[in-house]
Amino acid sequence: MSDPHRSVALPVTGFAVGNALGANVQEVARALEEGRSGLESCPWDLPFETVCGVFRGPLEALPRSLAAFDTRLARMALTILSGLDDEVARAVRRWGRDRLALVIGTSTGGILETELAYQARTVTGSLPEGFDLDRQHAFHGVLDVLRAHTGATGPAYVVSTACSSSGKVLASARRLIAAGVVDAVLTGGVDTLCHTTLRGFESLQALSRRACRPFSADRDGLSIGEGGAFLLIEREGEGRVLLRGVGESSDAFHMSHPHPDGLGARLAMEAALRQAGIEASSVDHVNAHGTGTVANDVVEASAIASVLGRGALVTSTKCYTGHLLGAAGATEAVLAALAIERGFVPATLGAAPLDPRIEIDVCVKGAKRPVRTAMSNSFAFGGSNVSILLGART
Amino acid sequence: MSPAYVSGVGLCAPRQGGNASWSAAFPGLTPSDPSGELLPPVLRRRASSLARMAAAVAGQAAQQAGLDLSRVPLVLGSAYGEIVAAVEMMREFDGPTGLPSPTRFHNSVHNASAAYLSIATGNHGFNTALAAGRATPAATLLEAMALLGEYGGDALVVMLDEPPAEPFALADPYPPAAIAICLSTSPGPRALAAVSEPRRGPAPIVELPDGLAFHPCAGAFALLAAILSRRPATVGLGADGVGPWSVDVAPAA
Repeated sequence: MSDPHRSVALPVTGFAVGNALGANVQEVARALEEGRSGLESCPWDLPFETVCGVFRGPLEALPRSLAAFDTRLARMALTILSGLDDEVARAVRRWGRDRLALVIGTSTGGILETELAYQARTVTGSLPEGFDLDRQHAFHGVLDVLRAHTGATGPAYVVSTACSSSGKVLASARRLIAAGVVDAVLTGGVDTLCHTTLRGFESLQALSRRACRPFSADRDGLSIGEGGAFLLIEREGEGRVLLRGVGESSDAFHMSHPHPDGLGARLAMEAALRQAGIEASSVDHVNAHGTGTVANDVVEASAIASVLGRGALVTSTKCYTGHLLGAAGATEAVLAALAIERGFVPATLGAAPLDPRIEIDVCVKGAKRPVRTAMSNSFAFGGSNVSILLGART
Repeated sequence: MSPAYVSGVGLCAPRQGGNASWSAAFPGLTPSDPSGELLPPVLRRRASSLARMAAAVAGQAAQQAGLDLSRVPLVLGSAYGEIVAAVEMMREFDGPTGLPSPTRFHNSVHNASAAYLSIATGNHGFNTALAAGRATPAATLLEAMALLGEYGGDALVVMLDEPPAEPFALADPYPPAAIAICLSTSPGPRALAAVSEPRRGPAPIVELPDGLAFHPCAGAFALLAAILSRRPATVGLGADGVGPWSVDVAPAA
């Protein structure tokens, strides 16, 4: 496909993040710079042992007007988004309510509440009073909450492509602004821990019993976390970080295994570079998908090496937060933006000893260094891949 | 945005073949067989009923449009997605291992239908999967038209849903059903209609058969009916918490 919109960089005018490291940007950044993981032994009642990243911090109840939408997902979304309330309000004033879109990524939405309702039914024989499939389980429930909170009346939809969901929302935002549909998009992603993913990844024998160790020779699986992030993308505005390009591709290989040659990963990274109109050599940091599974990391490292060479300092932050699944893309885009803003690349905890087959520059010790251009990768079930390029405003 | 041109359509509704009310609503279009023949046998055996419907409508629409499914980008919209697989997993949590079937787990993701299609056709390009409740048709069409604005060429839109399983069945039942629409930036010789950018605003109510009005993607079926009617129309694409969405459809010259 040709790419007539290449080189159109849009400002990231604000961002917010929350997960096992903390409930806001400052807490998360501090933990990354101190090399402190948020992973811990999973407190859930499960038929296996694992570690996970539980959201750090209190989750306030929803306003009374939104009580019917109450879920852990919605509470987490509003708690995190509170860090961006001022910027969103400013964007509404500047562009108008109808010119602000909401495009949000999630993999499992409010399914935790549905699981709890289902469990309760096995005891009582009926679903809990007040359980509402549309307002709590379905993806549009969280859209309604975010719409009410922000006052946005532009298009609102969820992108749900498993673990690439909230990376792809940045591509949607770029498209909607380029097409003139809106002038600003509140993008992001949020996912909670739930039985579906904890037990599901265990059924695939993909979970580690300890904190995941991306790129390590000793890695043996992933750790799951919960949390989310939001990024405000505008047609023009202030912001030290620019959204330079987003590449999307498909492995077309297998529902749950990556392409063995990293074909889809390569295509996504190449597409992002093409859209941004920049050379591969100018990428100096990659926040990798880096799940810590045997299959992913060696394939991704090979793809990174083939597209970017060995000049970029690569890290995976999943060893801090756990794999945030549908929220991973937006979260790691925010962490890449933080690397640009703060000039710090976090260490990949537990990466040493590195897998000898991995021939990229993995950051094993936190590095203070200028980052001008950062890439963030997210790869998903069904072979859905997204690669995001962020750059410092000159 | 510029209008998009419809070059092919598909419809799949299990158990509705030969139904006169469906034939009247969708004149000249025979619902495709939901066997999912586009999928190789090994994929077809594993695929969910939703993925098989997606394959059926994608194949039907692409054939009419003369499109190569290994190259065309796909935008899939569904309000509830693979909710049947998700609920079946909850049953499995009470089983001896407490774990779901691995296949059911990877089939439970919202983009499973898009993924099966890309695997079956060898499409390494773009696909996505969206949801917006009853405004899913508007959101799906917006994303597809913005994609056309970004890259040009063609895009395949698939919209589908099936009813949630017990104990989460909804008060107003609707049939499992899917549609596909091939969109193009230019009016080729196969163009059936031109479709405008979705906008906020009301539209006349369209009669749809057999509970289809309760289908979360009802607006998609109304759009399909308008395309097939070969008459100009303003079509409702569903509503969200702000209000209704609509789109203008004009028959191709």
